[in-house]
Amino acid sequence: MPALTLSHVTKVFGHDTNEVTVLKDVNFEAATGEVSLVIGPSGSGKSTFLTIAGGIQTPTAGEVQVQSENLHRLNGKARDALRLNKIGFILQAYNLVPYLTVQDQFTLVDRVKPQGNLSAAALTALLTQLGILELIHQFPGELSGGQTQRVAIARALYQNPEIILADEPTAALDSERVKVVGGLLRDLAKQHHKAIVVVTHDLRLKEFADKTYAIMDGRMTLA
Amino acid sequence: MFLALKEIRHEKLRYGLIVGMVVLVSYLVFVLSGLSYGLAQQNTQAISSWDARSITLNDDANESLSQSLITAKTAKTLTLSRHEAYIGQAGVVAKTRGRAKLSAQFLGLDRDQFIYDRVPVTSGHKPTQANQVMVDDSFKDNGYRLGDRVQLNSTSTHYRIVGFTHNAKLSVAPVIYGTLATWRALSHVTTDFKASGIVSNAATFKPKNSALATLSMSKFINKLPGYSAQNTTFTFMIAFLMVIAMVVIAVFLYILTMQKLPNYAVLRAQGIPATVLVNTTISQALILVVSGLAIGAVLTAATVLALPAGVPMSFNLPLLAGVTGGILLTGVVGALIPVRIILHVDPVSVIGG
Repeated sequence: MPALTLSHVTKVFGHDTNEVTVLKDVNFEAATGEVSLVIGPSGSGKSTFLTIAGGIQTPTAGEVQVQSENLHRLNGKARDALRLNKIGFILQAYNLVPYLTVQDQFTLVDRVKPQGNLSAAALTALLTQLGILELIHQFPGELSGGQTQRVAIARALYQNPEIILADEPTAALDSERVKVVGGLLRDLAKQHHKAIVVVTHDLRLKEFADKTYAIMDGRMTLA
Repeated sequence: MFLALKEIRHEKLRYGLIVGMVVLVSYLVFVLSGLSYGLAQQNTQAISSWDARSITLNDDANESLSQSLITAKTAKTLTLSRHEAYIGQAGVVAKTRGRAKLSAQFLGLDRDQFIYDRVPVTSGHKPTQANQVMVDDSFKDNGYRLGDRVQLNSTSTHYRIVGFTHNAKLSVAPVIYGTLATWRALSHVTTDFKASGIVSNAATFKPKNSALATLSMSKFINKLPGYSAQNTTFTFMIAFLMVIAMVVIAVFLYILTMQKLPNYAVLRAQGIPATVLVNTTISQALILVVSGLAIGAVLTAATVLALPAGVPMSFNLPLLAGVTGGILLTGVVGALIPVRIILHVDPVSVIGG
């Protein structure tokens, strides 16, 4: 069974003359152990796709299933719990709390979700792999764009989600770091049995993907 | 609490300013309420020390002790128990060589009646003879000492200060306790007059005499010249101040919460429950307001110590508790107003396009 399935998903914003259809009958599957790449230019509907896949927005039509659960039949509280336990977001906005040190970003996850997170040893290994272990006592405002992005990735992976939804995770990284992040995402999929979905316009990530979808004007096709 | 404390520690200047504002507001409210209560107390301290329930005055005195005279003839028709006491009031100016003149209220008492027993003595003893007086402690601030011989008004008689009492103020003037005979001399009345009024600490004392009118102590206090108007003015002042202070604090906390919405949107996107964010917001408001109130209270205490003894400042616990509770409640309300917005914060806003 796919970890994440979108069936005939359509998303319309606005009404009457202001109506804009951002996603048009999108069908998508992300399997455990695979990296799925969704590539498209700005305004193509990538982020809307991501938010609907993660249960942050509801589709106008169609269904989203996370494993066996139909996301939009769940109430808000259950969707929060599912997002916290099964879905990790890596956002363009870096999903870091500005007044928490890197260490405290992980402590916050522990406080809200005490079970199922990475062990201390696994976290140290992850931070070492991402080259940010020495930044553990820094605040996000003291980090460079690339460092912030890597911390955000570690933050999302720390809660050990089954599905990782990443929004332009390599936007601020040089080619060397893209290889590290791409390799990390692939390892997570293969060795740790995660379903990884990356929306991006960074074609450098293509070599790490098992499947690549193209999205243009709200329509998604398997590339 | 984790997020609340971490944010306060990280944003020291911003939160320091907000705590500073709460400190100033609470300090202002505490000091003003202390001054107003202190002034009100100075109108009634002496009366409160008697712990009486009613007062009987001449029916034509318009409920004013200073205007009242009870004749000896009327007094003879009355049967007083150990719960009643005659009292004679006269406004006087006290003077002695080398000291400042002091305006005061002379109260003549009968040493066999209950008020005489209840008046506290801080040093010396109670007057036992017509030429002896006991005065409020505030006389000491003007250099008066035990054994001083004072003149009251323009009489040629000198009265020896044989004792000091505390918390003895009436109509914002210090009280001089003496005998009813002295009161007669100061009021220029003969023995045809017994006293100004009869104070009772029994609920049942109500003489059936058309020349007399009995009123409750609370009504009598409200009828003291200027007391009611002064208290109403202060009550309105403090009430307006409280309302404005509450609105200011609530607005500040509202703005503070609104500024945090982008962070909250990120946390909501990650599945952090809205209740965690609401608890963070409320606990942060409580930390800020409680800190501000505590510092404000310490500053007020320091001010009380620094103020000259003559400044009337007194604190009433229920009033202070009300003021503190009001400011605390305002902080929580200010933080709660945006809760609906927190609960519906849109995580989409932090997902790039």
